[in-house]
Amino acid sequence: MNAPAPVIRLLVCGSGDRGDDGAPLCAVAHVLPALDAPLRGLLEVRRCEQLDPIDLIDVSPGEACLILDTVVGVEPGAIVELSLEELALQPTVTPRSSHALPITQVLGIARSVRGSLPRGTFVGIGGKWFGFGDVRSRALRDGMDDFERAIAAAIAALATPQEVAG
Amino acid sequence: MHTSDLRFQVQNLTRVEGEGSLHLTVRDGQVSEARLQIFEAPRYFEALVVGRTPNEVLDIVSRICGICPVAYQMSAVHAFEDLFGVEVEPATRALRRLLYCAEWIESHALHIYLLHAPDFLGYPSAVELARDHRQLVTDGLRLKQIGNQLLALLGGRAIHPVSVRVGGWSRAPRRAQLTAFAPALHEALQLARATVDVALQLTPPEFEREPRLVALHHPREYPMNEGRIVSDAGLNLPAQAWTEVFHEIQVPWSNALQARDDSGLPYLLGPTARIVLDHDQLHPLAKEALDNSGALESIRRNPYRSIVARGIELVQAAADAIDIVEAYRPPEAAAVAWRPRPGVAAWATEAPRGLLFHRYEVGEDGLVAAATIVPPTSQNQAAIEADIALFAPRVLGLPMDEATRRLEQLIRAYDPCISCATHFLDLSIDGAPA
Repeated sequence: MNAPAPVIRLLVCGSGDRGDDGAPLCAVAHVLPALDAPLRGLLEVRRCEQLDPIDLIDVSPGEACLILDTVVGVEPGAIVELSLEELALQPTVTPRSSHALPITQVLGIARSVRGSLPRGTFVGIGGKWFGFGDVRSRALRDGMDDFERAIAAAIAALATPQEVAG
Repeated sequence: MHTSDLRFQVQNLTRVEGEGSLHLTVRDGQVSEARLQIFEAPRYFEALVVGRTPNEVLDIVSRICGICPVAYQMSAVHAFEDLFGVEVEPATRALRRLLYCAEWIESHALHIYLLHAPDFLGYPSAVELARDHRQLVTDGLRLKQIGNQLLALLGGRAIHPVSVRVGGWSRAPRRAQLTAFAPALHEALQLARATVDVALQLTPPEFEREPRLVALHHPREYPMNEGRIVSDAGLNLPAQAWTEVFHEIQVPWSNALQARDDSGLPYLLGPTARIVLDHDQLHPLAKEALDNSGALESIRRNPYRSIVARGIELVQAAADAIDIVEAYRPPEAAAVAWRPRPGVAAWATEAPRGLLFHRYEVGEDGLVAAATIVPPTSQNQAAIEADIALFAPRVLGLPMDEATRRLEQLIRAYDPCISCATHFLDLSIDGAPA
């Protein structure tokens, strides 16, 4: 038996005026209008300048979560897709938007308080230039189409109803 | 090397904001040298603001820190307005204090619950603490969230706010917006009062010393945006005159400049200094919390009691914020008109971690020609090193990991903000066996 499609909390990290840091904001501006209305209706979009444990703690059991951020530690423009469990382990990439606490602490605290991490995915794009202004690096701009496709695919995957045992 | 010489190297300090390490040289059982090594790369903000307009400077300096951006904006905006002779409306003054309250709430909650409390309760980090003390961590996260939400309401963003402008604001909030936030502030006040109780129950290691304390002092209110620089040694000078008594020095082991006063001795800024020097100006509810705690003298003498000082300042910030919100009437204009004039703009405000001094030289063209920014952590480095040198002999006989943990706990008591990073710690000893 299938459960209803879950609500998906879309956590859009980054700052629009810090170069490549604004990539997630740009991407969702293109991805969301292109989604089918029923799929778009499943989304709860939350803008996160910095990812906080609270953003994950109150994700209810039936919901899913998609975190978007620019990352360092990979080639600029490269796409990174990880489950939240994978990201909580020693990540080889560093999301840009966990200012007060590193990402492993953000996810670890959320897991400790909540009992487990919510079902979810992290999609990131490698950044190169994080100076002031809304100019993006060439390498990041070259990867934006792939980033948007990865976001749309992740939303579709998370919207797939999960089989309920029994 | 002498057979009784030891070198302690704490490679990467954990649960502090930034990249630093600790190096100790021990000779005949005494610490001959303690070096807080800040190897966070220089960030050149003082050069970045050169050639910029005052309002551009406000946006740029807020990027220095993701935890205390308001402090940088407040020191800068008051410096420029003082030079330009700008008189802001009372409502603008109140809103700026409210913005600072928001920052104190989020910053102190972060440090108390997620960075420092694990030390006292025997956990390596807040992740492990949260498993056994879920409600404690949840309360801390909620307090931090309320601070961040108030920051976003006033500043347009939860971090790196953008609405502060010379002469006022880019947009002042409506009264209804602030009134709607009052219930959250009352919740913050209750959580803050509970925080003081929690902090008082945390047993501090036995360690006392006589610090030299420096803070702003205002005759009618607990210091945030205004006041004169005072010390427990009788210093009293205008906030603009920091450079008359204090000066920055470069030490070879740190990428951050240190600071000394004219005596050449270290001094301590932050919640401890403010509580000791300004407790008569606390909000009645915060004063009540301090009096009930009976902790004033232990806050002054024991650096680990800074966690209590931060708790009391949480009460201060929440209670103060409630008063401001209840009395708020929007300013007639979001910002008053102003014209730049050449000269030196200087000011100091009280960041969560202590006195933050800014100095700008403004040219005939109205652009910044030179800048000096002296953060509290830079000024506190020497005091931290001095306290480590006093404390370290007590832990030298302990196993390495325990000695490391205790030294880190002491450093965290000062809430050093180097930038935003956390690592697990490696401790190595180079030299003769212990």
